[in-house]
Amino acid sequence: MITKADVERVANLACIELNDKELQEFTLQLGAILEYFDELSDIEAQPPKKEEENVLRPDEVTTSLPQKEALANAPRVDSGYFRGPRIL
Amino acid sequence: MSHREYLESVLETIRLSKLNAYITLDHEGVRQQAEQVDAGERDGRLAGVPVAVKDAISTKGLRTTCASRMLEHYVPPFDAFVVTRLKEEGAVIVGKTNMDEFSMGTSTETSYFGPTRNPSDLNRVPGGSSGGSAAAVAACEADLALGSDTGGSIRCPASFCGVVGLKPTYGRVSRSGLVAYGNSLEQIGPIARTVAECALLFEVIAGHDPLDSTSAKLPAPQCTSSLDDHLSGTKIGVPKELFGEGVDPIVEAATWKALHTLDDLGASADVISLASLKRALSAYYVLAMSEASSNLARYSGIVYGYRADRDQNWHTTFSEDRAVGFGKEVKRRILLGTYALSAGYYDKYYSKALGARALIQRDFMKAFKTYDALIAPTMPHTAFRIGEKIEDPLALYQVDINTVPVNLANIPALSLPCGRKGKLPIGVQIIGDKFSEAKLLNVAHQLEQNLS
Repeated sequence: MITKADVERVANLACIELNDKELQEFTLQLGAILEYFDELSDIEAQPPKKEEENVLRPDEVTTSLPQKEALANAPRVDSGYFRGPRIL
Repeated sequence: MSHREYLESVLETIRLSKLNAYITLDHEGVRQQAEQVDAGERDGRLAGVPVAVKDAISTKGLRTTCASRMLEHYVPPFDAFVVTRLKEEGAVIVGKTNMDEFSMGTSTETSYFGPTRNPSDLNRVPGGSSGGSAAAVAACEADLALGSDTGGSIRCPASFCGVVGLKPTYGRVSRSGLVAYGNSLEQIGPIARTVAECALLFEVIAGHDPLDSTSAKLPAPQCTSSLDDHLSGTKIGVPKELFGEGVDPIVEAATWKALHTLDDLGASADVISLASLKRALSAYYVLAMSEASSNLARYSGIVYGYRADRDQNWHTTFSEDRAVGFGKEVKRRILLGTYALSAGYYDKYYSKALGARALIQRDFMKAFKTYDALIAPTMPHTAFRIGEKIEDPLALYQVDINTVPVNLANIPALSLPCGRKGKLPIGVQIIGDKFSEAKLLNVAHQLEQNLS
């Protein structure tokens, strides 16, 4: 059975902050859904080893998005760059 | 009537509508394009035809939100392949339609912009996730629409709203420019009021695109020319697993009526068993959620997307912004997918789901050695009430039981109106072998012309 601690761990991995109410609700709901997924446990078939073919294209230089357009949707921009959050 | 006048009348229908089918309208673009058609500057097979585009499909310069707060202000710098094809054929893109957030849902209730209502009953859902597209077509707020179908998201709303919706074979239509949710499962497809119009829109959008490496290198399909072919000798399989306990007897009766009509047209039907379908729902959700958790990792609010103006470290910033930007159902699926892919659980869920998928593909392949098409109800019942299922995610997932097997097998399927329960439409699902869309549309057209 999935516990609150499991959901907290997964939320941390997925970078989604949960409040206490959400944590409680998701623990119950995820538990019920995972219990349903247990019907897969007796599947013995192995996933087929696919012989996928690589899809290649000629390495040709084409025009790329102009800087102004590339930055147009960015919430924070600084001197022509995307501005991310600090690392530490 | 000029194209300009006709398109103005469509915009007026939308203005007066209570459906909330659209998230964004392009008034300016519609008028401009309509005038170009009237002046003879735009032509093609869809010249002047108002088309609605699901808000998961990128449109250059026209806001594309995926019905999420995360992308509330996102304006794509390019057109999706299918949008380019629409424009090349002279279509007029009316606007972007409402949907479940990031296509995750069966009712269009998870949209950040509020639910869309069913044109047949405003208290009921239109189905989902392409609910806005199906509702718009049903209510003449567009003549044609594009949806996308990861686990039934074209067929479900087509069934609930009483229109025709086709999920093409995986690889038939380019996904380039479609915001990714479950890449191994999804396809863009047409929604229309008649099979003939559905076939035409399918012909326009199908074909190879080098920008989608899973796009099939096959010539564009010819479907409109074979709609009137006779069905004598056509063999239909009826998978009993898709007529399970949850299927409403009235929906089942409508499906059999369609089968009897096909019988009168010279086709023959056998009840068959595809035992692997019993686990399709679980396999589908494990795979779709796993792919979703990986795909939606890109929303970090740096290049685009929601970002609060706080100065925290990166992990806190991302976690807080994703908590605000994503709705509940999206969070649920990301969490479940992350769990299913995390160390210790991969073999228990993801790997088993791939095994189940292989069995389902094998069962379908075997069936198509004998049968030209399979027939079943699209949805187990008619449209439910807004709010009826939204608090019980598992119950809502179970509604997809008849549509998800098709996505797992990468085969095409179409939903066609086949009757009503009271005022609510019922849809019959016609499932075909890979790249057999022409046959599906032929069967559907014959059925449409002969169902009384």
